[in-house]
Amino acid sequence: MSLQVNVKDLLSNLYHNRGVVELLFGQRDQVTVNELLGREDITEEQYRKLISLDILTEYENVVSLNDSVVAMFEDFMEIGEVTPGFINDYIYELKRHINFYQEAREMRFLRSIKKYLKRINATLTREIIKLQKNVDDTYKNESNYRIKLQKLEDYREKRDTIIDFIKKTSDIVEETRNLFNITNDTELFGIVSVLKASLIENLDFLIEIQTDITDFINKIQFQLDVYKKAQRLKEVKDHGTLHFKTNFREIVGNINTLKHNGHKTPKTKIPVDFLYTDDGHVLCKRIAEKYKITRLMVRGLADKMAGNFKDKGLEQQIKLDTEKLVERFLVQSKLNLFEYLMEYKFPKAIGTVTFEERLSLFVEIAMEYQTVMDFKYRLQYHDYEDADKNKKRLGYTLILPIKEKEKKEKTK
Amino acid sequence: MEDYNFNLPKQTHDIFSVMARGNFISSNGSKDGMNRLYDIINNPENFDRLQAYFNVIRYNIERGNNFFYFSKLNEPNSEIEKKLERFERYIDIIDLFASMDNKITIGSRFRPGEIAEECNANVRLKQKLQKIPLYRSETLHNKVREICDLMSRDSFLEMEDEKTESYKVLDSYTYLLDVINSVAIYEDSGMNSDDAQGLIYN
Repeated sequence: MSLQVNVKDLLSNLYHNRGVVELLFGQRDQVTVNELLGREDITEEQYRKLISLDILTEYENVVSLNDSVVAMFEDFMEIGEVTPGFINDYIYELKRHINFYQEAREMRFLRSIKKYLKRINATLTREIIKLQKNVDDTYKNESNYRIKLQKLEDYREKRDTIIDFIKKTSDIVEETRNLFNITNDTELFGIVSVLKASLIENLDFLIEIQTDITDFINKIQFQLDVYKKAQRLKEVKDHGTLHFKTNFREIVGNINTLKHNGHKTPKTKIPVDFLYTDDGHVLCKRIAEKYKITRLMVRGLADKMAGNFKDKGLEQQIKLDTEKLVERFLVQSKLNLFEYLMEYKFPKAIGTVTFEERLSLFVEIAMEYQTVMDFKYRLQYHDYEDADKNKKRLGYTLILPIKEKEKKEKTK
Repeated sequence: MEDYNFNLPKQTHDIFSVMARGNFISSNGSKDGMNRLYDIINNPENFDRLQAYFNVIRYNIERGNNFFYFSKLNEPNSEIEKKLERFERYIDIIDLFASMDNKITIGSRFRPGEIAEECNANVRLKQKLQKIPLYRSETLHNKVREICDLMSRDSFLEMEDEKTESYKVLDSYTYLLDVINSVAIYEDSGMNSDDAQGLIYN
């Protein structure tokens, strides 16, 4: 019993139960009555009402949406089965109205002609998009071979039908060109030229789909053939004649993949230097733990570098210079060692050398180079200010370079 | 730095480390960005550069239908006995896959449980499965698992989901099909097969 009388009622009913409609559209032919009534957004009463309005139908305990509703949604979303039949209806209608118009040049017929021309264009495009989607979907998702092949063959037929319709449509447009010229209707010209362009475009698209379908079918056929062959080979193998009745040996002999030829991944040795690094140590430790080798576990990671690392480096650099420094000191005669060191202009690279550092350098040189220096065993005094600006006085031994004469004596 | 001199893609090392292990790179593999590696090799500019680069160290990139693998240049193929054994086993496996109701082929997804179930229900399949020579597998399910494991190691399958144990057949499977397709079976015109065999080989 159908009570649908107007658009408003239909829309409000659909809107009111939009959750249910969405579910039923999404899971077509899968939802049972109990499942549906288990949902919170529909009551038994509402369900009865929808059944009575013919929006829902129930068959063998499975609920489904009215086909017209489903078709409407599918049309908008350009999904669902390919139904080229519609185009044929539109072409028929178009022809009818063209005849009417030839009889009586009335605007109402012209309007219908425009309407059907537009419809044909839209439907053709939509059907072709659906066809493309379905072909792809079938190839990828249909798991049963025979059905997959059958479906693809069906799509091939549908494609031929659509091509037929395109030809029919362009014939009609050609035949009625004179008639359309007489109308002098710019809108009609627009529609016709758009239609012509899209007919050509769609034809190209269909050719592409055709290659896809053929390609898919060939691939499936290839796989099927190979599978048949595999089964035959297995049979031959079970009879123990695989090596004698086929060229299996030869084919396998020519196989050049790395894996099947026993080529191993190139392995490189760990460089010894790497083992001395921290990363290398971690590696050693892991191996040591695995094989319980204590020897490899002895050496620990290097400690964190001290904060005054840079200063230490500086000292070292001064030390390296001492020999040259002493040489230079020895060739002059104006200053004693202490004064010489205090006055000495160290190279810029070393940076500023503090009083304390010069002092320790003095002690160091005095101790290491006693033989080449003249110790006067006399104290001299040096006045200076320390960091807190206190006046201080420092006593030091007078040390001079050995004079040539004295040197000789000393060596004697 | 040398990479830049050759203008090689930065994935060159990844490509090498997969293929030098003897594995295939398939266009529909998803683990470890395999499909990306495929796209990179498949780019004609990259392909020429990579080919030239690897040729220097005598690896040759071989192109199949949607997959790539390495072969060694100027090196005789070896280990014929081992190879024969392996491909005989592949025949067993492919024969099993081919005999299923839902034939397993490129792009198929399946769980070992499904195959075991079907084999359990079908005596012919059960026999086939039981006769495939594998070790340490007692139950049908474990045996199918072992087959899947073996095929995954050879990079023909890929485990998509560890929880559900679902596998996907990669494009490299075409390689096996190609091999099988190229084997010629000598027809023996209905004669006694032993005689025919003598005619061809002795």
